[in-house]
Amino acid sequence: MSATHTAAFFRAEGVLVSSGVMHAAMFMAGQRAGMRERALRFGQALASVPVFGLLGQNDRTLGNRVAHLCYRDMTEDRVVVLAEEYVEDVLLEKVLDSGVELLRKAKADGHRVVVLSEGIGEIMHRLRERLRYVDDLICNALEYRDGKATGKLREPVIGGYEGGKWLKQYAAEHDLDLSRSFAYGTHGPDLLLLSAVGHPCAVNPDPTLRKAAREADWPVMDYSA
Amino acid sequence: MSDAGTAGRAGGWSIRETLAGKRVLLTGASGFVGKVWLAMMLDRLPQIGRIYVLLRGKGRGARERFEKIVNESPVFKPLHEAQEGRMSEFVSQRVEVVAGDVSAPKLGMDDATYERLVADVDVVLNFAGLVDFNPDVRDALASNVDGAMHVADFCERSGRAVLLHVSTCYVAGHRDGRVPEAPVGDRSPGGKPLQAQAEYAALQQLIADVHAENDDPATEASLRDDVLRRLAERGHEGDYKRVTDMVGRLKRKRLRENMAKAGTDRAKSLGWPNTYTYTKALAEALLQQRADRVRVSVLRPAIVESATEFPFAGWNEGFNTSGPLVYLAGTWFRHVPAAAGNPLDVIPVDFVCKAITIVACALLRDEASPVYQCGSSDRNFLAIDRLTELSALGHRKHLREHGANALEKLVLSRWDAKAADPEHVLNVTNIRKLMAQVTRYLKHGRPEKIPSEVREWADDMSKTTDNGVRKLRQIEDVLELFMPFTYEHYCVFVCRAIDRHVIIEPEFRFAPETIEWRSYWLDVHMPGLRRWCFPEYEDKPKEIYTPKTPFRLLDPPAAASPSVTSTSVGEVGS
Repeated sequence: MSATHTAAFFRAEGVLVSSGVMHAAMFMAGQRAGMRERALRFGQALASVPVFGLLGQNDRTLGNRVAHLCYRDMTEDRVVVLAEEYVEDVLLEKVLDSGVELLRKAKADGHRVVVLSEGIGEIMHRLRERLRYVDDLICNALEYRDGKATGKLREPVIGGYEGGKWLKQYAAEHDLDLSRSFAYGTHGPDLLLLSAVGHPCAVNPDPTLRKAAREADWPVMDYSA
Repeated sequence: MSDAGTAGRAGGWSIRETLAGKRVLLTGASGFVGKVWLAMMLDRLPQIGRIYVLLRGKGRGARERFEKIVNESPVFKPLHEAQEGRMSEFVSQRVEVVAGDVSAPKLGMDDATYERLVADVDVVLNFAGLVDFNPDVRDALASNVDGAMHVADFCERSGRAVLLHVSTCYVAGHRDGRVPEAPVGDRSPGGKPLQAQAEYAALQQLIADVHAENDDPATEASLRDDVLRRLAERGHEGDYKRVTDMVGRLKRKRLRENMAKAGTDRAKSLGWPNTYTYTKALAEALLQQRADRVRVSVLRPAIVESATEFPFAGWNEGFNTSGPLVYLAGTWFRHVPAAAGNPLDVIPVDFVCKAITIVACALLRDEASPVYQCGSSDRNFLAIDRLTELSALGHRKHLREHGANALEKLVLSRWDAKAADPEHVLNVTNIRKLMAQVTRYLKHGRPEKIPSEVREWADDMSKTTDNGVRKLRQIEDVLELFMPFTYEHYCVFVCRAIDRHVIIEPEFRFAPETIEWRSYWLDVHMPGLRRWCFPEYEDKPKEIYTPKTPFRLLDPPAAASPSVTSTSVGEVGS
């Protein structure tokens, strides 16, 4: 029996917002409790920027793990409150209207709108409240122990190549016909996601994805607002 | 003596049916908990028979005081709004104000009223007490101990009235670990033998000794010498009357101070941190001895704080326990003296009122335990370092939007407070001393020849720092009082006895495990403190409620008691 529903998958970073997880990590690190902790964790976040940049082209799972190390020992209370502050004061300014228009159109066309993000739930769920049209959000989750972040991300880490694996399972669970579905990606590791759907689109792609999109003759969109 | 009619429904019993038509004598109705309980009963249990509210004041004094409380306290706002113009009739049908005083024999009532109430009352709720931590020991004894004995006398004379005595979890004194829901034992927290009657007598003797020492002619002579010397230093010659008045004032002040000190010393010598917890424990021990003659339960709330939903989210008042800690977290002083990991056993006032109602019903149903503790640490642990951080985060949220200037919005909002050792170099005492030093310099140490603008600035600044010193002194005193609970001891108060009573009405269930501390602290408690308590710390006027139609307590003929039938109970309760 063939699937009856369709979906539109959106990578949040690059498609819907112009900033990524490093930006959030540096904001959080700079708001740690106590000057010493702030300096230490901000330095740690800063040092992980080039590592993330290098790994981000290919292995974003490891890049995300490195980026989120600066959350270590941060209380859940603090993460939640600062996430709210980050979304309200920073992230909403970085929402890309063109991306939101894509969301709106997908919803209007009757697709199930799914947003994938490398960001942590505390931030992304709050952003989701502000972005209408989102049916489902799949994002990373910090691991907590005794009310404090361990600095690790809970499995599965969003952002790596395993996107294609969960996509099949997700499609089966929600009765989705992927050949009629859409996907908007930005990074190299989104290749699996894009190649699994019938209507892929590269948005503000990084060099790896741009090259792949050109070779596969996928549409490419570039926008900055 | 369990009432079969109220039992058995869904394995529990009904608060409404148990209290329908019952007569309650309420003492301490003007206090934080007392007012909320009264408003809750009137709002949720209008089928209650009658609530006799014992208030100080003679003749119309008590009635006028009650009218003022109901008209001005925001606690009664929901009831005013629900009753619209019928508030006077509604309340007068259910409440009778009785002039009296728990610290006096026969509760300070005239004989006829006392006998009428003895014959009529089903349950006595004794909320009355002096909650100052280190007051004049005579006042503490009168309110906390004698008051409890007088309500017990009332119940004993009645023969059928049951007694719920509201105490405090902190009767546990200087103790660590899990504190069971058990009566005060025969040893003090410090390990000394404790015999209630003997201790009561010793306390009275202590008071007599302090009196005698103060009345000693040698004391008076010494005070007189002091007065004369001070007058001479100021170039005055004191006439006899003036000197005698001054000596009298000094003697009274000295007596109050010595009485406070005597109480505190006695409490500490036995292992209690202050006179309040010591006298509360003594009252419990004395009540325990009368348990064969009076059906009594003791309910010990922990630290009673802002309401979660009744009368409305965030309601609080006064200089409570967490208030100064939260206030401190919003200032430039970062180091809140507290031991990380210690619980601060906070329980919202409406939870306490529900627990009181459940235990009162359990007493009426003859199935009550002797002691109930009413806190959160056992069932929903909140560590003091967590609440310190939550307080700092709450201030951050508030100051980012409502800071008075850029400094507050950008810097103070990010100036995180943290739990620290009391001996930390940046503790409140050191900051206060530093600020006092600055004040002294600005007032007296500045160069004589300075421009007038600088002089004016220095004058203004000295007023600001002087004010700051005063506030810090207040906060310092409060923090010192709370140090046993925030730093020195790790106490978890077992709170399970109440679970024996299964209540069918969800709105009366006691479930502290349902409190989500982050949202409670940030969205309920801190906004409540900011609105209802911080103005008091800052010497700002208190917000009072003004109903559209003022409440007047009607005379009994105009306010017949509410009829109680099974039909009306069902209708009102539904």
